Amino acid sequence: MRKSTVFSLFTLGNAILLALLLLYGRYGSGEAGAVQEASRNLVRELQLTDLCLFTEARYTRHPSMADLHSAFQDHPMALEHFPSGSMVSPPRFRRGRP
Amino acid sequence: MNRFVERHRSILDFALSSLLRRKGKNISLWVVYTLIVFLIAAIVFYTHALKREAAMILQGAPDIVVQKMVAGRQDLVPVGYVGKIAAIRGVGAVRPRLWGYYYDAVTGANYTLMAPDGSLPGPGTADIGSGVARTLRVVEGDFLPIRAVDGVPTLFQVRKVLPYASELATSDLILLSEDDLRALFAFPRGFATDLAVTVENPAERATVAAKIAAQFPESRPILNSEILRTYDSIFDWRGGMMVVMLGVAVFSFVIFAWDKATGLSAEERREIGILKSVGWETGDVLLLKFWEGAAISLAAFLCGVILAYVQVFFFSASLFEPALKGWAVLYPRFKLVPDVDPYQLAVLFFLTVVPYTVATIIPSWRAATVDPDAAMRS
Amino acid sequence: MIALHDVTKSFHPGKENQFTAVRNVGLTIAPGRLTVLKGPSGSGKTTLLTLIGCMARPTSGRIVLSGGGIAGFPGGEEIRELEITSLPERFLAGIRRATFGFIFQHFNLLRGISVLENVMLPAYPTGERHGEIRRRAAELLTVFDVARHAHARVDRLSGGEAQRVAIARALINRPSVIVADEPTAHLDTDLSRGFMEIVGSFKSDGKTVLIASHDPIVCDSSRVDTVVEMRDGRILRSGSTP
Repeated sequence: MRKSTVFSLFTLGNAILLALLLLYGRYGSGEAGAVQEASRNLVRELQLTDLCLFTEARYTRHPSMADLHSAFQDHPMALEHFPSGSMVSPPRFRRGRP
Repeated sequence: MNRFVERHRSILDFALSSLLRRKGKNISLWVVYTLIVFLIAAIVFYTHALKREAAMILQGAPDIVVQKMVAGRQDLVPVGYVGKIAAIRGVGAVRPRLWGYYYDAVTGANYTLMAPDGSLPGPGTADIGSGVARTLRVVEGDFLPIRAVDGVPTLFQVRKVLPYASELATSDLILLSEDDLRALFAFPRGFATDLAVTVENPAERATVAAKIAAQFPESRPILNSEILRTYDSIFDWRGGMMVVMLGVAVFSFVIFAWDKATGLSAEERREIGILKSVGWETGDVLLLKFWEGAAISLAAFLCGVILAYVQVFFFSASLFEPALKGWAVLYPRFKLVPDVDPYQLAVLFFLTVVPYTVATIIPSWRAATVDPDAAMRS
Repeated sequence: MIALHDVTKSFHPGKENQFTAVRNVGLTIAPGRLTVLKGPSGSGKTTLLTLIGCMARPTSGRIVLSGGGIAGFPGGEEIRELEITSLPERFLAGIRRATFGFIFQHFNLLRGISVLENVMLPAYPTGERHGEIRRRAAELLTVFDVARHAHARVDRLSGGEAQRVAIARALINRPSVIVADEPTAHLDTDLSRGFMEIVGSFKSDGKTVLIASHDPIVCDSSRVDTVVEMRDGRILRSGSTP
């Protein structure tokens, strides 16, 4: 087979695969909507405010409730103790205040 | 039309032959390029999907959370505030939230202890999140020791493990009855951690928050929109980790393009001269160079993006876990709902394919415009 | 037929290193005949070949193609006569591709790709069907007895085989004029004689052949119809061999 044919098929195949994956993501995962709904209801019932992503320390666990004396409100150049500090920035309404 | 297609195919044939001539170099180039694209795409997919998930789930968060500040630090809020805040026009309900953190020295994990309204676990029992169950290796019916402030451990029987599907929000929770929690923490009666205020009309929330702040100057109301915005800015490109990753990727792209852009070798120049002398025009030579660049970058883009999608959405981004987990002992296990922002994908496509292809064509421009008779004379 | 009228070619005109390779040359290349440009190196033979073969434009003078239709030029079938000196590059390239086949002194084959692909190369930009090009290339390789090397790398060929591949490549677009620059420079006597036999077959196919050489095997061959002697960019004498 010609090289250009092989390449075209390879590219086309990949493009179709990518399109299928993207479509699956958008329309295929129906049950995911139900799962999200259940999570949302649980959040509402328990009145939670944050995702449980950073459990290294007290002050990283609830970034949206963050206290003035916790790491995120430090001076922007302050070194972080935990990797989460380099991934989460202080809530926007906190920045700019002394 | 046919001639047009045939011409492109023939020149593409030759471009591929050309690339295959330096098989080792070009294949390793493609592999590395694919890895870089994979890294960036995985980061982009993960952060986008996580933000969407946060936005979806946290819609159930309280409309306003009221904290009390003393000397600039968060303090316990008196339950007496409840009545006064409930009296403000627009406020539906005010419920005190009772929660805190618990550090388990044995495992080194931090848990969030909470006494919810509604379906309370009975005294001496606890509902725990899946992450807690995993870390302590307990199941329903097992006993779980929690140390009170006086150091005395109390045993709680696990009534229920919260659903795995809600791990993202509930992984580290330990739910207790109010009395148990107050006893553990020596939490004074008449006080709560903060207050959750319900305001039916979203448009009124900011106004109500302002009124609360006015009525209780030491209070700090936090709006639901502010909670959501916090999660909008996680994994922001301005965050240190992201800057490093993106910087590495950009640097790599630049290296690739540089390698191409710093001109042709004498061998390549000779070859272009030969092509021109056997009848190829300038346009044909440039098309050849275009396909050489496009073939590699296109293949790298497609393979990298597909791999990233599979990694993030089918394998729960397991490659990122060490970085995201950091020093945490407890880390939620969750499968993200696949969601890709087409705009981000388009930008990635352009960044991957265009600079590299251009970097392949531009230096050949000069050599491509050489007179065909140059090959005769050399 | 190719006619040159008072053609001059200077390199780097107006600069210090201005060099005039061809001076006021007037020449007619008869169709279907073998013409040899004879002269020492530096006499302007190669430059004249590039001018005739539409590879370069003269600094002054006119070059006119005439005869039964011009190949590779839109509407060229009906044209009796065409002056190519002032044609845009694109049309010139088209005519060159369809009319002329070049055999270079150093063969100029591309290393690292197969013999077959080398032969097919000049036809790629024409947009012709790949299968058709491939078939013609394979045929040519058979005619020149190098078919067994079709998928070998060019580097592995002997001098004679490489030249035959170069000849096959020159013929892929079915040109009516073959131009060769010092074709026997790297060949021994036997191979040189073999080359002249191939030239004979071109003639019997009705092709026009133009060779620049100072090799006696070429110049003194009985197949030669016209010898054009050159020196310092000028034609000294030109005449048919008796």
